[in-house]
Formats: sequence, C-alpha cells, structure tokens
Amino acid sequence: MPTFSFLNPGFLWALPAAAIPLLIHLLSRRRLPEIPFPTTSFLQTLEPREIRRIRLRELLLLLLRTLALLLFVLAFARPALTPADAVTHAAAAVGILLDDSESMAAVDERGHARIDEAKARAAALVEASRSGDAILLASSTREEAPRPDRGDDRVRLRRAVDRIEALPRPASMAPTLGGLRRAMERSPLPFRELYVVSDFQRSNFSDAARAELVRAATAGMRVFLVPVAGSSLPNRAFESIDPEIRPGPEGRGLELRARLVNHASAPSDRIAIRLREGEALIGGGDASLRAGERAWIAMPIEERGLGVSGSSRETRVTAEMDEDALATDDVWHAVLGAPRRLRVLRIVEARGGAPPRFTALALDPSRNGASGFSVEEGSPASLLSLTAGRADVVLLEDVAALSGDAEARLRAFVRDGGGLVVAMGPHADPDYYSRRFFPGLIDLSLQSAARAPDGGSYELRARAAGHPILEGLSVEVGAPLSKARLTGLVRGNVTTPRAEVVVQTSSGLPVVVAAPSVAVFLSSLSDDWGELPFSGAYVPLIRGMVSHAARAESGAPPSLVVGAAPRMRLAAAPSGGIRVRGPRDYVSTATVEAEGTGFRAVALDPAPAPGFYQFDTEGQMLGTVAVNVDPVESDLTTLPPDSLRAALPPDALERLTVLPTTAALTRHLQATRRGEELWLPLLLLAAVLLAVEIALASARRLSA
Amino acid sequence: MSDDRPRLLDPVFISKLARLDLQARLVVEGFLTGLHRSPYHGFSVEFAEHRQYMPGDPLRHLDWKVLAKSDRKYLKQYQEETNLRAHLLVDTSASMGYGTSGVTKLDYARQLAASLAYLILGQHDAVGLFGFAQGRGEQIPARSTMGHLRPLLLLLERLTAGGGTDFTASLHTLAERITRRGLVVILSDLLDEPEKIAQAIHHFRHRRHEVLVFHILDPQEVAFDFEREAVYVDVEGGPRVTTRPRELRDDYRARIQAWRARLRTICIEKRADYMALTTDVPYDRALLEYLAKRSRLL
Repeated sequence: MPTFSFLNPGFLWALPAAAIPLLIHLLSRRRLPEIPFPTTSFLQTLEPREIRRIRLRELLLLLLRTLALLLFVLAFARPALTPADAVTHAAAAVGILLDDSESMAAVDERGHARIDEAKARAAALVEASRSGDAILLASSTREEAPRPDRGDDRVRLRRAVDRIEALPRPASMAPTLGGLRRAMERSPLPFRELYVVSDFQRSNFSDAARAELVRAATAGMRVFLVPVAGSSLPNRAFESIDPEIRPGPEGRGLELRARLVNHASAPSDRIAIRLREGEALIGGGDASLRAGERAWIAMPIEERGLGVSGSSRETRVTAEMDEDALATDDVWHAVLGAPRRLRVLRIVEARGGAPPRFTALALDPSRNGASGFSVEEGSPASLLSLTAGRADVVLLEDVAALSGDAEARLRAFVRDGGGLVVAMGPHADPDYYSRRFFPGLIDLSLQSAARAPDGGSYELRARAAGHPILEGLSVEVGAPLSKARLTGLVRGNVTTPRAEVVVQTSSGLPVVVAAPSVAVFLSSLSDDWGELPFSGAYVPLIRGMVSHAARAESGAPPSLVVGAAPRMRLAAAPSGGIRVRGPRDYVSTATVEAEGTGFRAVALDPAPAPGFYQFDTEGQMLGTVAVNVDPVESDLTTLPPDSLRAALPPDALERLTVLPTTAALTRHLQATRRGEELWLPLLLLAAVLLAVEIALASARRLSA
Repeated sequence: MSDDRPRLLDPVFISKLARLDLQARLVVEGFLTGLHRSPYHGFSVEFAEHRQYMPGDPLRHLDWKVLAKSDRKYLKQYQEETNLRAHLLVDTSASMGYGTSGVTKLDYARQLAASLAYLILGQHDAVGLFGFAQGRGEQIPARSTMGHLRPLLLLLERLTAGGGTDFTASLHTLAERITRRGLVVILSDLLDEPEKIAQAIHHFRHRRHEVLVFHILDPQEVAFDFEREAVYVDVEGGPRVTTRPRELRDDYRARIQAWRARLRTICIEKRADYMALTTDVPYDRALLEYLAKRSRLL
C-alpha cells in the first residue's frame, strides 16, 4: 500500500477554514425581516419550484466553495504519496561518491564544466536528505574513508559539496568506492544507497572499480549511477616531452620532441605548439593528428634560448597548445638536460673479415656525431672495461654469448642507468640469452631461430601505438612497418607485463621487445636474414631502440604526476636537509634514499599542481623536476553507465539504477524521499472549482 | 403656470397638500391648463362664446348669421349640458393601503377620485361616490351641483384601507344598487380572481352601465425590485413567502404582466375601458382617459 503523508503538516491547522462558507451560509439563514406585500400570491406560485432550484444551486455553490478551500489548505500542506516499494521509508545511509578527477574540469560545447553539474547533483542529494539519514560524502581522488554526517546538517554538507573542485589528478575509483562501501557497511541504518556522481570516464572504471560496484550491489546496497557528461568530448593533450634535446635534421640546429595525442573520433585541426622558457618563446611547431592518434612531434628550438640555472645546465621548458575541452593537459612542463650526443658502444664479434656496419651507419652516417649519435666499435672483451662514463648505450649485435665477467660488467652498467640494445642474428645463442643473460634485464624467453616457411618472409607490424621506439615512424597500430623482406627470426615469448612487444610479425611473433633501459630485436640488424637494412624503416627503428634504451640512462626521472611526491636522483647524498619548493607556495622537506649506485631525494608532501619543483640544500640548488598531470585523464571518452550493469549477477541487477538526467534524479528523490507530491493537482483542482463557482454565481446574477 | 403643471399632476407632490379639495382643484386646473386648444373643450346646447374658424373644424358649428353679415367665419361654442351620471367606485380593501413611494394606492385612488369629481362637476355632470370593501361601504348618490363636491370630498377623506378582498361581491352589490344607467369608474388594485372581476363588470354592463377601470398598483408590485431576502407577508392575511427577490424577479414580472393583460382582455371582452396605473403615474393620464371615454359616450 502506498503511504500518504503531508510534508507541511502545520498547514492542516487551517483545515477548519474550509467551514467558513458553511458558517456564512448558516448565518445568512438567520431570522429574516418581514415585508408586507400585497401580491404574494404571485410569488407563492413561483416559490416551490424556484426555491428548489435555488437551494440546489446554493448547495452546489456551498459545496464548491468548501471543497476549494479544503483543497487549498491541503495543497499548502503538501500531501505526498510514497509508493509501497520505495526504498527509504526509514532513514538511510547515503554514500555519495563525487568524481573530482581532472577530467571533471572538462568544459562542454555550452561552456558547462562537468564538475559544476556533478556538484549540482550532489547538492540535490544533500537537499533531499532527511533528519535520520547518515550522509557519507567522498571524492574520487581522496582515498581516505569518509565520515558519516547527519542528514539534517545540510548547511555543512552543502559547504562540503561546494568546496569540492576538480583536481589535476586521476580518479582512484576502485579504492574510493571500496572505502565508501566499507564505511557504509559499518552504518547501523538498515537502508543503504550509494550514489556515484561521475562523468564515467572510460579509463577510470577499471575491472577493480567495476568489481567494487558489484560488491556494493551484492552487499544489499542500492547503487545509483549519476552520469553528468552528456557525451564524449574530443580532447588533445600532451603526453610527454623527451627531455633530451637532439640535433636537428642533418645536424643543424636543435630540436625538441613532444608526444601528443588526439582523443577524438575525427582528425584534429592544426595544433599549434609554443615552447617557452619562462615567458620567452624559444621554439614551437604544429601538427595534425588523425582520430585517436598518438605521435611524437619534433619542433625546432633556439639554442641561444636555452638558459643555465644552478650549477648544472638545465632548462625549464613549458609547452603549450590552444585550450580545448580540458585545459590542464594543454600545458606540459619539462626540465631539459644539455644538448648532447648519445654514445653507443657497438659490440660485434670478429668472424674473419670486416663485419657489416649497417647499424653504425644508421646511427652516425657522417661519423662526426652530427646525427646525435656517436658510435664506438668494440668486441665482447671490451665490455670488461665498460664504465658509465664511456657509453650511454651498449648495442650487442649478433653476439653468440658473453663471458661471465663481461656479462657481470654489462649488468652493472645497466643497473647504473646505462641502456642496452640486443639484436639477435644467426650466431646469437638463444638458449644463452634466454636462460642466462635476459633474466634480471628483460622478461623474455627465447626458442630456436626460425626461418620463414616456404621461402616466404615475415611482415613487420607496429603493435604498441605511440611507443618511443616507433616515434620516428609514422605508423598506426597493425600497419606494416616496412615492405622489406625478413626471412628469419628467433622465436620469443614475453613472460610478464614488464616487457612489451613493440613490433611483431603479421602472424603475431615478437620482433621488437622493450623493457625499461632495454630493447631486444629478435632478428638480425644486418642483412643475414633479409633486406631490412635497405628499407626506410631501418634507420628510425635503430635510432628508436637506442634512444629508448638511453632514456633511463639520461638521468631524467620517470614522469612525475600531480598527487605524487616530487623526487629526483642525486649523485651524492647532501650533508644538510633538502627543501623542495614548487607552485602554489608549495614547500616541503625531502628524505634521501639510496637508489642503485646513487641516491634519490623524495619530498614528503605530494605535488599539488603541475609545474617545476626545485630541490635545494643549504642555499645550494640541487636541481629541478617537472610535475605534470597524469595523461590518463585526457581521454574524455565516457562509458555508457548501463554497460556497468553487465558485470552484475542477475539477482543484483535491480539494485543498480542509472539516473541519466537531472529530471530522473529529481523524480527518484521525490519518489523515495518525499513521495509523489500532489500539491499541484490539488491547487489546479481548487482553481477549477473556484472558476466553476464564479461562473455559476455570475450566471445567477446575470439571470437575476 | 404651465411649468407647474407636471408638479401639480405629480401624485407625490399633491399628496403633500393637506386638503383634498385643494388637491382636486390644483390637479384639475393644472390639467385643464395643459388642455388649452385641446379637442376636449366641449360643445353644448348652451352658447358660450365665438371662436375663429380654423380649417378642419366641423361646419355644423359655423355661425352662418355672422358669416352672412360680416363675411367672417366664426364657430359657435356651447357650454356642454349632458345628463351623464358618473359613479366613482373606490376600493378600500386592506391591500389598497400599500405604498412604497410615499403614496398608497388608496391615496392615489382618493386623489384621482377627487380630481375626477371636480372635473365632472365642472362639466355639469352628476357624480356619485362609493367607497367599498368586503362587508362595508359608504355611498353618496350622484348629483351635478358644485355644492355636492364638499360631501364627496369629506367621504373620500374618511375612506381608510381595511378588510378583506371580496371585492367582486361588493361590485355586485353596487351594480344592484345603482339603478340609473351611467358611467361606472372603478378605482381598485383588482386583487381578486379575474373571472370574478369579469362577472362583476358583466353585471354592470348588463345594467347598461358604461365601465371605466383604473387598475392601480404600486410600482413595487409591478417591478418587485426588492434586494434582500425576506419573508413577504400578504397584507390581507394571505400567504407568507420567504424568498430572494432577484431569484424570482423575472418570473414574477412576467406573471404580473400576464395578469394585467388578462384583465385588459376581460375588459375589452366586456366592452369596458381599462387603464393600468401605478402610483407614480401623473394624474393627467387618468383624467385624459376619462375625457376620452366621456367624449365617446356623448
């Protein structure tokens, strides 16, 4: 049975007002005056018929007036009908997870920010709370468990909602959902409702986050998904900047490379990029990206514009593009090292006669380092004297196996930040590499070498889009890398996610496998197994692998993101305390930890905003690191909330409801908190009754 | 003088004058002043004066002798001399005491009767008076001397409203009592059954009397223009009706009009003259009606 209630029962005291017409009617029937009149006989013949009609009409008018007044009073008392199956006849624990991740700062075509819409929905939920409710307000970037607030403390709750702003951080959807669910389970209240107010960004709802929703639904909670983004928004973003300044084309000038992504289902317009050091414009370029494309864009940069700060030469560069839907990812900060050449120690085995020099020519064709690479030839024995100061990257090219000492020295080199590129070939011993050399360096197991069947060839295809190894090759995922024939390769198998297949054959056999500081080419970089060295893809592929291996060696820390503690590598531990300063008056102390052969300074407080963070000790500057937003938030593709129901078991399906619009949320809150309000129909009915009464009374006067 | 004429004929104004003889004289003189050059200036056997011939005058009154002597056309006017005997019947039933505009129906009837008597005696006709109601009545026989006016007026002043409305019974009695044929002028509100009234008029007609009915009603009896709800009590002990006038007004008016039309029809059928009056109607209309009737009779 539906429950009938009044939301303003105080007005029911005015119900006796409905008796006013009746009182007036009765008072008007007081003792009437007597008027002598000679021709009453004429009246007498009229009276019974007329009086009956008049009395009937008067009764009708009385009834209409009384009913109209009654309806007015009832309308002011706001009657409501709550359906029998409404969840909240009693107080409820209401959990509100408000997504405040970076993507919520996105602005749609009408200029509305997602976070404003989300706050409005959350405010509606707060407004609908009742005195007995316990409200748990959580945000998706803070993992601490929320504390319940009393439902009648609306002012505080409203302020708490008002204070929430979109932060330049990714959402931690699974942990925050889990924390909220556990906090709600601790509530003694029998009804529990969990509202997720979010843009339902695809990247935020991982399997773990979906599993949390399922746990909440199967734990008896009613889960309501409140999407605030009407549709996916196209967005362009920076994803990285190569901290290495490289020589420009043909060795002239310098260039900086930035990785851009176009999260859109249509090609981008021309994207203009400006590079600044402070306020000074020091370079720039433009690019157009296809739908969904990631690409490295090389841009000329003025050598004279590169400043020197502190004792080490470093340049703070900010790359900007025109603002689009999400403004925070249209700026990228980078601390650039001094322009330098990558030193490559190429290890080949002497097998009688001069070995082919394809790789050396690809890296340094003019032999003067103008290409940004300088190549030193060496034998496996030369590895015994390998130090970090001698080379940045070691390239093992078709080496059968290494001696124990050489192998240990090479491992130490990599551990100290050196890069390693291993190329197989007809002489390399897959068993040695698979069993002895690779463990600890890259999770890759090898089998025997294989030739292409029936005299055919393998076709190379890009597998990992936007991988730095492919940055010189403008290819899409699955597209052929080259038309060159590759007739043999060593079959390999990636064993853990730490190693990534970057290039594979059309039949799915790995060709290029990458791990931090290490790249492995599973075929020959010479012309032993085909004609790859003669193809256009050869030079960018070799340079990509060497650059990838050298990147970790370059000293640049992995990209630092907002929300994480700023950290930087130190060659030596400073004697005094370290202080870190950054944007928004950020000041923090830092601790020093050992890392490999060096040290690492880690700030105690997380970075609140993107920008440059400077480490110093006792007035001496140690260095600067750049902190940027996490690129994961740049993809503004939304997930249809209904798709989240797919993971639910059938018996929990009815516990998950999508409230796609403000109207749907309002209706839901109306039905579950206040019931279906009836004041408007009552008011309309009263108005109609009054209109009928006036019409009847006017008709009577006119006829009279 | 002519400016005062409407005032002198206004029932409310006249009713404020204390003496009935004065009232009657003022009314009739005011009325006659208005009739200057009117066709009601009578012709009689007794010469009164000459008047210049006007085209359209009947040639039978042309003074041929004067024409022969002086070649001028004059008409001879005569003092009228008739044997008309008029009987004024004034209803004094209780309902005649009703009045809402300062004049009761009886007042109106009394002044109208006095004026008629003055006018009739002025024309050397005989006039008598009957005040009648159920079970009682006073009578003065018809005489034509001006000295007869005083007792007539005294009786009129004595008349008071009262008693029931068995009006037709009184009429029948009077019809039996008036032996010489003459003009019977009834001044009444005729609150009785129309059929009975028809029989009474028929009775007069049967006795070869001419009948002129002045049907006198109060304006409120015609319009029923009351506003408030009240108990309306019949003045002659009839029914009591509780009503809101505005609810019944239209139907009531329609019925009153139908009733008056019915009475008019009855009078026409009985070859009597009927005139509906309300107490706010100036007396000249009634006097004119009388003169028209008299001229038809002569």
